[in-house]
Amino acid sequence: METVAPLEEVLDLIKETGGESFKYCYQCGLCDVVCPWNRVRDFSMRKLIRQANFGLTQIETEEIWRCTTCGRCLQKCPRGVNQIEVGVSSRRIANEFGVFPTSVRAIRGVSSSLLAEGNPLSEERKNRADWAKGLSVNTFSAGMEILYFPGCYLSYDPRLKKVAAATVKILNKAGVDFGILGTRENCCGESIRKTGDEECFSRLARENIKTFIDSGVKKILVSSPHCYHTFKNEYPEFMVHFEVVHIAQYLFELLNAGRLALTKGYDRKITYHDPCYLGRHNGIFDEPRQALKGISGLELIEMPDSRKDSLCCGGGGGRIWMETPKGERFSDIRVEQAVDVGAEVLVTACPYCITHFEDSRLALEDSKEGGGLEIKDITEIFQEAM
Amino acid sequence: MDSSIRNVGDVMVLGGGISGIQAALDLADTGFKVFLVDRSPAIGGKMAQLDKTFPTNDCSMCIESPKFIECSRHPNIEILTYTEVESLKGKAGDFKVTLIKKPRYIIEDRCTGCGTCVEVCPVKVPDAYNQNLSLNKAIHIYFTQAVPLITYVDPDTCLYLQDEKCNICIGVCQNKAIDLNQREETIQVEVGAVIMAPGFEVFDPKLRNDFGYGIMENVVTSLDFERILCSTGPYEGEIRRPSDRKHPKKIAWIQCVGSRQVLEGGNSYCSGVCCAYTQKQVILAKDHEADLEARIFHNDIRAFGKDFERFYQRAENLSGVEFIRSYVAVVREDPETKNVAIRYATTDGGVKEEEFELVVLSVGLNPPKNAEELAKKFGIELNEHGFCNSNPLNPIETSRPGIFVSGAFQGPIDIPESVMGASGADALCSQLLAHRRGDLAVDRVYPPERDVSWEEPRVGVFVCHCGANIGRVVDVPAVVEYVSGLDNVVHAQESLFACSTDNAKQISDQIREKGLNRVVVAACTPRTHEPLFRDTCREGGINQYFYEMANIREHCSWVHSKDPESATQKAKEIVRMSVARASLLDPLKEYELPVNKTALVVGGGVGGMTSALSIAKQGFQVQLLEKGEALGGMARRLHTTLEGMDVQGFLKDTIRKVYQHPLIHVTLHAAIRDVTGYVGDFVTTVESKGRVKKIQHGVAILATGAEEYKPDEYLYGENENVLTQVELGERIAQKDEGLSQAKNLVMIQCVGCRNEERNYCSRVCCTHAVKNALNLKALNPEMNIYILFRDMRTYGYREDYYREAADRGVKFIRWEPDEKPVVQAATEDGRSVLKVTVADPILGQRLELDADILTLSAAVVPSDDSKELARFFKVAMNPDGFLQEAHVKLRPVDFAAEGIFLCGAAHYPKHITETISQAYGAAGRAVTILTRDSVTASGAVCEVDESLCESCGACISVCQYGAIAFHETEKGKKAMVNPVLCKGDGLCNTVCPAKAISLKHFTDDEIFRQLDAA
Repeated sequence: METVAPLEEVLDLIKETGGESFKYCYQCGLCDVVCPWNRVRDFSMRKLIRQANFGLTQIETEEIWRCTTCGRCLQKCPRGVNQIEVGVSSRRIANEFGVFPTSVRAIRGVSSSLLAEGNPLSEERKNRADWAKGLSVNTFSAGMEILYFPGCYLSYDPRLKKVAAATVKILNKAGVDFGILGTRENCCGESIRKTGDEECFSRLARENIKTFIDSGVKKILVSSPHCYHTFKNEYPEFMVHFEVVHIAQYLFELLNAGRLALTKGYDRKITYHDPCYLGRHNGIFDEPRQALKGISGLELIEMPDSRKDSLCCGGGGGRIWMETPKGERFSDIRVEQAVDVGAEVLVTACPYCITHFEDSRLALEDSKEGGGLEIKDITEIFQEAM
Repeated sequence: MDSSIRNVGDVMVLGGGISGIQAALDLADTGFKVFLVDRSPAIGGKMAQLDKTFPTNDCSMCIESPKFIECSRHPNIEILTYTEVESLKGKAGDFKVTLIKKPRYIIEDRCTGCGTCVEVCPVKVPDAYNQNLSLNKAIHIYFTQAVPLITYVDPDTCLYLQDEKCNICIGVCQNKAIDLNQREETIQVEVGAVIMAPGFEVFDPKLRNDFGYGIMENVVTSLDFERILCSTGPYEGEIRRPSDRKHPKKIAWIQCVGSRQVLEGGNSYCSGVCCAYTQKQVILAKDHEADLEARIFHNDIRAFGKDFERFYQRAENLSGVEFIRSYVAVVREDPETKNVAIRYATTDGGVKEEEFELVVLSVGLNPPKNAEELAKKFGIELNEHGFCNSNPLNPIETSRPGIFVSGAFQGPIDIPESVMGASGADALCSQLLAHRRGDLAVDRVYPPERDVSWEEPRVGVFVCHCGANIGRVVDVPAVVEYVSGLDNVVHAQESLFACSTDNAKQISDQIREKGLNRVVVAACTPRTHEPLFRDTCREGGINQYFYEMANIREHCSWVHSKDPESATQKAKEIVRMSVARASLLDPLKEYELPVNKTALVVGGGVGGMTSALSIAKQGFQVQLLEKGEALGGMARRLHTTLEGMDVQGFLKDTIRKVYQHPLIHVTLHAAIRDVTGYVGDFVTTVESKGRVKKIQHGVAILATGAEEYKPDEYLYGENENVLTQVELGERIAQKDEGLSQAKNLVMIQCVGCRNEERNYCSRVCCTHAVKNALNLKALNPEMNIYILFRDMRTYGYREDYYREAADRGVKFIRWEPDEKPVVQAATEDGRSVLKVTVADPILGQRLELDADILTLSAAVVPSDDSKELARFFKVAMNPDGFLQEAHVKLRPVDFAAEGIFLCGAAHYPKHITETISQAYGAAGRAVTILTRDSVTASGAVCEVDESLCESCGACISVCQYGAIAFHETEKGKKAMVNPVLCKGDGLCNTVCPAKAISLKHFTDDEIFRQLDAA
C-alpha cells in the first residue's frame, strides 16, 4: 500500500473553488450505491470525495470527469455533501492547470466555440436562427408575453430543430405572443460551468443577461432543463431574476388555461423520462405527466427509476461533449427499460436526453430487440395531438 | 370511596411504558399515591411489543409483565388507560389536571376479559399491537397479558358505531359490560408533581418512501420484525415473511433508517439503540434458522453499552452472518418471488447487488407523535429534535418546575436508562413532596393466611402455554390430563399466559374455591416469575412458600423445540417432580428487619454527591465517603462537556451544596476497612487519617467511579507530546501555549480497550475526542486535527457534534484492528514531530501525518478500589471489573444484594449527564427502602439442629456471607445461622458431616421426593 501525505495546497484550492462540502463525508458509500456509473462500470464518488478531503485529488485522471451531475448522490447523501460542487471544483483546478485526459480534450474546442460563436457545436452564430425560417417566428421585443429561448441544440442540431419547430407551432396555435433573440442568443453556459470553466460560463451569462435586459425580457420560455436550471438558480448570482418556465410546465399551463386545444389525441403507449435537471434538480415531475395525461388515447406507463430516482441519460456535467464507450452508456439501459415496460414512445423534455436516447435507440435496433421504439420530445407529442 | 378523595394524588405519571411503570412503582413504594395515565388501551408501552431484550436476550414481556401486575395490585397506583391529558394548571406542589377518558365502549369494572365478545365479533381489523401484520377483531383485548385485561372497541371499524348495523357482542356478554353508547369522560385530578414518560415513536419509513416500505411486502421495520420473532406475534414465533409466509433463508438488516442524516424528514441524531437491537434480532433469527444468511448494512457499529461489544462479537461470529460497512439502496422487488434486491458499496469490489428474501429496516426513534401538543398542554419546552428539552445538569427536569421527564421522551435512550431515569424522577418528586409522604398512601392488605397444617396436601397445577413458547412444542392439554391423575393433585388447568392478570386471579380464586394448599405453576423460570406467583398465593390466602415452579420452557420447550413428543413427555416428568416436591413444602415465615434511616454513599464524585444530595433532600441522613482529599472525583479533571456545560462551576456549586446540607456528613481520606450487616442494618468500618469509626446505615450506594487508563503504547510516557484525552482537555482549559501553536494534532481512539485485554468500549472517548477537537478549533481554527477511529460512537444527540467537527474541518480516519496506526518520533524541517501512519480503506493508501501533538483516547478502567469494595459489600463485578447490577434492563441501579445500589462510572463508563441521571435513580431506589420501617428477608434460609451439631465449624468457614457463627449453649458451642444474612445457597449443607444444618424450602426430604418422582 502506497504511503501519502495530505496536500494542503490542493486542499486549499478545492475549498477556494467551492468544493468544501467534502468535509461532511462519513464514508457511508451511499453515493457509490446510487451512482448510475456503477450500473455500467466501477466508479467511486466516495473515493473522489475522500481524496478531496486530503488534497489528494488526481486531476490528471478521467475519474474526475465522469460525474454527469445527475444529482442522485447529492439527493441521498445523509451528511449533506454536495458531490457536484466537489467534482466541479476539481475540474476547475484541472482547467487552471490545463490538464485534460484524452477523452476530455474535446471540451477545449467546445470552450473556444462557445467564446467565439456562442454555441458549443462549432456552428456559426449567424446561422443560429435558421431553424425558425418559415415558421412565423418573430424577434423578441419589449412588451411581448414571453421570450422563447430554444438553446444551442435546438438551434443547430438537425434532430432537435424539429423540437424547436414543434414548440413554436404549439405556441402559435395557442396564440402566445412570443419572440426569439435569434443571433443575439448565446449558450446559457450551464454545462461548460460543470466542466470547471467558470470564466467561459461567466462571459456567456453576462452577455445573455445584458441581452435580456436590453431587450426588456421578463419571462423566458426554455426547451432545455439545463437552460432552465442555470437561468433560475445560477443567474441570480449576478443579481438578476427573470421568470423562467420550461416548455413542459408551459404546456400544462396552456392546457389548463384552455389556450391549447387538442383535437386529435394520441393513441400510443408512452413512457416519460424525467431529465435530471428538470426533475431531480428542480422538482418538476408532475406537470409534464399531467400535461401528457391531458391527451386523449395516450397511455402513460412508468419505467423503473422514475421521478426522483430517474436514471440519468449520461449527458449532464459536460458529458454531452465527451465520448462514452459502448457498454458504458446509461442511455442504453434507459431505452431498454422503456422497451421492457412496453412503451412505444420514450418521451422526454431535454435535448441531451433526446440526443443520447436516439443514439441508444439505433444501437437497440442493431440488436434487433425492441426495434420501433421512438424517441420524442414532449412538444412533438403535442404537435401530433393538436 | 368519596370521589373527591379518589381524585387527589401525589404524582401523575403520564405514559405507562416501562419508564412510567417503574416511576409509578418507586413512588408508590415510597409512600406516594400515583395516577398512572396512558393513552393506550393497556400499559406496557413499546417494551411490550418487543420479543427479547439485548444483551441478555431475556423475553421482554416476561420481564415486564410481572410489573404490570405489581402496578395493578399496588394500592397506591391508580391506572387510567385509554386516557389523555386535556389540560394542566397550577404549579409545583399543586397541579390540577383534566383528563379525558376515551370511550372504550366497555364498562371496565364489569369486563372480566373472557373474550366471548371477541369471538363473535364479525369485523376483522389489522392488529396494531402486531404492527398490523395480523388481524384482530373490532372488539378485542390489546394483548393477552394486558393490564387492565379488558376489551375495547375500535370505533372506526365497529359496525354499530359506524352505522348501527351489529350489536352481537352486547348479547353474548354475560356481565352486561358492553356499552356501545358510552361517551368520553372528563376526570379532574389533583397532584403535586408530574412525570412525563410518553416514550417515543419509531421512525416511519413510509413517509419518505424509503427502501420500499409499504410498497414491497417483504420489507419490514425492526418493530415489525420484533412481532414476527415473538411467539405472540403474527406467525406465532416462527420467522415467516409477509408475502408468502415462507421462512426466509436470507435476511438483510439496514441500519440508521431515519437516523444520522441531515435529509428532510430524517433525524440528525443517532437513535442509539438500533445497532444493539439489530444484533439481538440477528442472534435470535439464527436461533430460529440455523442456516440463515444475514447481512447487516451499517456505517459505524455503536456497541457503546455495557457488554455490548461482546454481544456484537457474538452476532458477528455466527456463521453466515456478515456485517457490511455500507449504506444501501433497495432497488427492486422481483415480481414473482417478491425477493428484494439491495445494492451496497464495497471498498475494493465496487458496488454489488444482492437479493434477499426479507429486508428489515432498523428504524430509529422519533419523538412521540403528540409531543408538541403535550408540550403546549404541560407548558414545557421541546428541543430542536422535538424531544423534551431537559437540563444537562439534571436531565430529569423539564423547563417547568414540578414536571419531570423520564424514558425516551428525554431523547433516544435504551430501557436501562429509561428505568434509571424513572427512579430518578421518583427521587425528584420525592424531594419536592417529602413533606406529604405517606399522607395519601395506604398499605397493601392481604387476606389472612389459612392454617393448613392439619390438611392433606391439595395441589393445584397450572400449565402455561406461554403463548406459543411452550404450547407450540409441548402438548399442554396432554400434560394437564396427565397431572390430573397424580397423587394429591385436586385441580389442574391450562392457561395461555399464567402470568396474565386474569390467570393470576384464577389461581387465587382456585386456591379459595378448591381449598388448594399447594400451587405448582408449570411455566417459565422462577428467576423472573416466582415473586409474582408467591404473591398470588398470598392473595389466595395461603403461605407463599407453598408455591413451586416447574420450568417447562427454558428446560423443555425451548431446548427440545424440534422434538415435540419427547418434550411433552419431559414436561410431564418435570411437573410430576414438582408436584411431588410441592406436597412436602412447609409454610415459612419471613423475617422483619428494622431499617436504619441512614444512607452510606461511597465515592464523592458527581455520582456520589448527586445521590447524597437527593437522599438528603428527601429527608434522610447521608454518610458520604471520599477516599481523596477533596470531593469531585474524576470531574475535577474535566472542564467542559460536549454540550458546553461548565463542569468546574457545576462541581463547585454541588460541593458547596453537599457541605451546606445538614443531613450530609462527609468523610474525606476515607478507607473502608470492613462491612457487616444486611439491608436495613449495615455497619461499615471506615478509617480516615488514622481514626477509625463505625457507620450504621440501612442502605449503601456505591459510586466509586473509574479512572483513565495509562497507556503503554504509542510513545506515551516517552514523548512529552503524547497526551491522553483527559490531559489534552486540561491543557485546553489552561490555554496551553504549546497547544495553541500546534499545527497538526492527531488523536487515536480505542487505546487500551476494544482489545483482548479489555473487551469493551469505553463509551465516552469518541465524544471526548470530538469535544476536545471542537474546543481546539475554537482556539485555533487553522489547526489540522485528525481523529483516527474504529467506529465513531457519538450516539444520541452527540452525532450532531460529530458532524459539526467535520464542518470545522476535523478529519476522521477509520482504522481496522489488524492495521493499527503506527507512531514514530522524527524530525521534520528542524521541528520534532510524531509521524503517524494509518491505512485509509477508502483511499486504498496509507496516510502519513506529522503530528505536533498526539492524543490518545485512553480507555476508562474500573478504579482499583471497586474490587475491594465489591468484596466488602459482597456484590458482583462483570468480567471487565465494573460493578454488576441486578438486571441490566430492569434493575440497572440495584445490586442483587438487597439494600445496595450503584451509580456512575463504577457501573460502566458514562458521561456526566448520564451519571447524574443514574445517581438520582440510585437515590430513588435507596429511598424506597429508607422510607420503610422494616424490610423482610427470605424464609428460605438455613437452620441448625443443635442436637446434631458437632461444632466442627465447617459450615462457618464455607459460608460466603458470614451468616453462621458459634454461640454458647448449655451443650457447648453450637453453630447458629443469622437468617437475615443467609442467602439460602445451601453450601453449608454440603459440608456438614452430621447433617445438622439444613436449608428450609430445599430440605433433603423435599429434594429426594422430587428426585424419586423423576
